[in-house]
Amino acid sequence: MKQSILDKLQILADAAKYDVSCASSGLDKRNTGNIGNSSAAGICHTWSYDGRCISLLKILMTNRCIYDCAYCISRASNDISRASFEPEEIAELTIEFYRRNYIEGLFLSSAIEVNPNHTMEKIIKTLHILRVDYQFTGYIHIKAIPGADPQLVKKAGELTDRMSVNIELPTKQSLKLLAPQKSINSLFSPMQQIKEGIKQYRYDSRHIKKVKSFVPAGQSTQMIIGATPDSDLSILHMTEKLYQRFKLKRVYFSAYVPVNKGTHLPALSTAPPLLREHRLYQADWLLRFYGFNADELLNFNQPNFDLDFDPKMMWALKNIEQFPMEINKVPYKELLRIPGIGVRSAQRIMKQRQVSMICYEDLKKMRIPLKRTRFFVTCNGRYYGEKSMEPNVIKKYLKPDPSYEQLTLYTIPQRATT
Amino acid sequence: MLVYLYDTTFDGLLTCVYVHYYRKRADKIYPFQNYQNHILDEAVPVKTSKEKADKVHRAIQKQISRLALKHVYHCYLSNHYEKDTYILKFLELGFKLRSKVDKLHTHPMVHPVVTLANRVSFEVHRFLGLLRFQEVGQGLYAKISPDHDISLLLAEHFVDRIKNEKFIIHDNIRNKAVIYNGKSWVISDFNFPGTLPISEKELLFQQLWKGYFDHIAIQERVNKKLQAQFVPYRYRQNLTEFKKRYPNARH
Repeated sequence: MKQSILDKLQILADAAKYDVSCASSGLDKRNTGNIGNSSAAGICHTWSYDGRCISLLKILMTNRCIYDCAYCISRASNDISRASFEPEEIAELTIEFYRRNYIEGLFLSSAIEVNPNHTMEKIIKTLHILRVDYQFTGYIHIKAIPGADPQLVKKAGELTDRMSVNIELPTKQSLKLLAPQKSINSLFSPMQQIKEGIKQYRYDSRHIKKVKSFVPAGQSTQMIIGATPDSDLSILHMTEKLYQRFKLKRVYFSAYVPVNKGTHLPALSTAPPLLREHRLYQADWLLRFYGFNADELLNFNQPNFDLDFDPKMMWALKNIEQFPMEINKVPYKELLRIPGIGVRSAQRIMKQRQVSMICYEDLKKMRIPLKRTRFFVTCNGRYYGEKSMEPNVIKKYLKPDPSYEQLTLYTIPQRATT
Repeated sequence: MLVYLYDTTFDGLLTCVYVHYYRKRADKIYPFQNYQNHILDEAVPVKTSKEKADKVHRAIQKQISRLALKHVYHCYLSNHYEKDTYILKFLELGFKLRSKVDKLHTHPMVHPVVTLANRVSFEVHRFLGLLRFQEVGQGLYAKISPDHDISLLLAEHFVDRIKNEKFIIHDNIRNKAVIYNGKSWVISDFNFPGTLPISEKELLFQQLWKGYFDHIAIQERVNKKLQAQFVPYRYRQNLTEFKKRYPNARH
């Protein structure tokens, strides 16, 4: 039976949705072709029912896969509807969606249908149609297929804006358990190649007038959270290593949604660990913008984040002797370490400090959450928290309210389970 | 209280500021359409003068800062009833303190202007994404209903992005539109009460988009409250993916 475009689109969107990356950011580009530009801040075009933004047309080339990774919905042994797009179809869809302002660009990924090179070639063909035939200069993000020839990765890098290789699991052991056909080295080698390509491009573009761009918006990756018993600490260590070693722009975390049965996988009824994912993202921000490192946030005695309090708050409570900090005196780097104060607020404080004193009411106007922050700062020497600065006392004030439940008039007798 | 009334243009507002300094100090400024008469007010309409407005325009840029001018302009585009009075107070302080005023974020005369300006900038950014074109004949047509008067600030982005298309961005609430013919763009009064002639092809892409939109959400993570924070209900009337006319919609 011939599938309609709509069927294919839906099947392949269903297969692509577990890839979280949807950023269109990192690159300011004017329209030098026929259609398309991009802005460094990134533009979200809509938000789906799960509250995640849709900025790129996120789609697989095909979900027919030869690999059998345990966690993946498209694994070879699953009985699901399969579909493939032709490069021309994807290109047309992208352009038509783009000119209606539905999307900011294309995020093209693929299952591996025949072998990695075949898949990579198909992706390159799509990009070629978009970039050359349609003169499309909008944002494109593609997956580098692990195991593809370095020559093909290089060619793809010249046509795309961002490239990513998903490492999915933070340790060798878990990779062996769930994706035995992939090895950590086959994942790292394209990353290394992309990193060096970007470095070369940056250098060349400073010295040569016209140079072919190479992944100008940088590379990213993704890890699954909760499919294996890996601790937050090992995930965060891996994240830090990736930022340092491969100069990644972003590491994404994806709370694992159980889609498959398997001996090494959580049961199908397990809810995705959304709060844990959120805590990891908070920690990721602390690494990238707040000058923290992984060992400050977690250690071997406490390898996981507290679900009731955010990572910065936990750090502050552990290091309570550094507080309270005087809002009018401490340097920028210290300001960033105060719970409740973010980059924007810290910059505002620094600016205003040049011309006037900052009092407690000003903090409120700067939209700093005083409920949390008041325990950790003084304004002109005055402390606005409670009498004690014991971490346990502060925790008592900040503990989230328990969730309420409707009580019934009659208690339902529990059936004995034997 | 002395109230100056102006003709809703930015030049008109700046003329009021000029008159405020060179004739008599006003307590408040309003656009004459919005003004709600008050028994204690003495309302004086001010005639817009390009010359006077230009003087004030230059003075803000030179004596205060370009950032302050941007804040004033964005604040002027907001839909707040008191915005013009806020701008007047802000400029009074600005001409005293010069560029220092940009750093006094929480000062009672600065804070309202900066807050409103930020609100407008935020809405502009939102509408770069939350705007849907439909193919109508040879060109593209988009209807928007923003809170603030942002159509002018949207124009540049789309003119660059789809420079070889013809398009209209229609502000449904203020009855004005950005019209681009493939070479240059204008902003003008615009009203279109009829229904759009939509082709089969256009309908197909709308259906494809809707189908994609429904399937990209992960059922196990559905969180409509979070979605509503990003796409408030008031914006959804013009968004293709939220229209309910497709029978196969999942939600």
